Amino acid sequence: MEKTIETIWKEGFLNEDALIAPKVNNLYDKKSLHIIDKFKKMFLNNIWGIIIGSSLLFIGSYFLGALLAGSIFLIMMLYVAYTAFNELKSLEKIDKGQSSYLFLKSFKDWIDRSIERYGKMYRFVYPMLILTFYFGIWFSDSLEFMRQKVSEHSDLFFGLHPGTTVLVVTFALLMSIFSKAIHRKDVKTIYGGIMNKLDASLEEMEHLRE
Amino acid sequence: MSSDFYTSFIQPYYGIIIKICRAYTDTPEDFEDYYQEVCLQIWKSRNNFKGHSEWSTWVYRLSLNVCLTLLKKKKNNHQHSTSGLLPEELTEEPSAFADEPLDQLYKAIRQLSEVDRAVILLYLEEKSYQEIADIIGTNPNNIGVRIKRIKERLKKILDGKDN
Repeated sequence: MEKTIETIWKEGFLNEDALIAPKVNNLYDKKSLHIIDKFKKMFLNNIWGIIIGSSLLFIGSYFLGALLAGSIFLIMMLYVAYTAFNELKSLEKIDKGQSSYLFLKSFKDWIDRSIERYGKMYRFVYPMLILTFYFGIWFSDSLEFMRQKVSEHSDLFFGLHPGTTVLVVTFALLMSIFSKAIHRKDVKTIYGGIMNKLDASLEEMEHLRE
Repeated sequence: MSSDFYTSFIQPYYGIIIKICRAYTDTPEDFEDYYQEVCLQIWKSRNNFKGHSEWSTWVYRLSLNVCLTLLKKKKNNHQHSTSGLLPEELTEEPSAFADEPLDQLYKAIRQLSEVDRAVILLYLEEKSYQEIADIIGTNPNNIGVRIKRIKERLKKILDGKDN
């Protein structure tokens, strides 16, 4: 080595090309794409989770002798999965050519709209699921002994225990009334990390735009 | 980030930031990411600057910390994503920077440990031992010996005698 490292360092930076600063403008491009990609992946996994879970329950219902309830459950969950899949497809329509800020903002709007739509859908889906589950299990072949035992101690109304049925129906009604809040909480539990990141990025970017 | 802030508080020190970022990155893409992240962090942390040191010292410290954090993150991601690869597949990406003496020196610097890279960069920027120790958070007494050792290692690498 002929030159000392000090000389190489000094002479190297005499060349102006060695000190060209990159532009600080596309800082959030990668971050925003990363957030949305991660969300999409989780969303898709969730859809598959619904499909696989409800299919397993359907198979289970066959063995419990509650095939009708299992079928209703499966159809409802497939409908939820289908709606979710369409929602995911609509996410692709967000213009990736806009600035990172507008891109993330559109994404946030999409989430809010989606929560709103799902909230409305779950107003029917939640109680239906609960009632299907309750009636399905109660009238299943495997619980026949239980029905007989209960009927020995109390009067049944259309084959149902009145107290328990009132409780379950009340619970289903409450789930329907609070469906939006429950769904919002659900979303927060599953996607909370990403949503917090999204909010933080938007806040930073709004600050940057000031 | 307002252009005023960039012009007044970052632009005069962009040379420092560039030099540090280059020591911790192998490709121009990573270099750009690191540079932009450092600028953003300077802007975001500007209120934490209490004036106990010079602004340039603070910029050095922050730049080093950001680069070390990003490098750590990158290493972790790399470990996760390449856990199934054979060791020979984990070779360093060829440097996309031009092949000049300065680039050779940078290549050699990148072979040092993360802390040694910081020490030698600050030394080459003619910082005093005390300043280097302040920025890195070590004892100034050991800095001289450490620099001597690093320079010897760099010389070996540049002469092709270091494995």
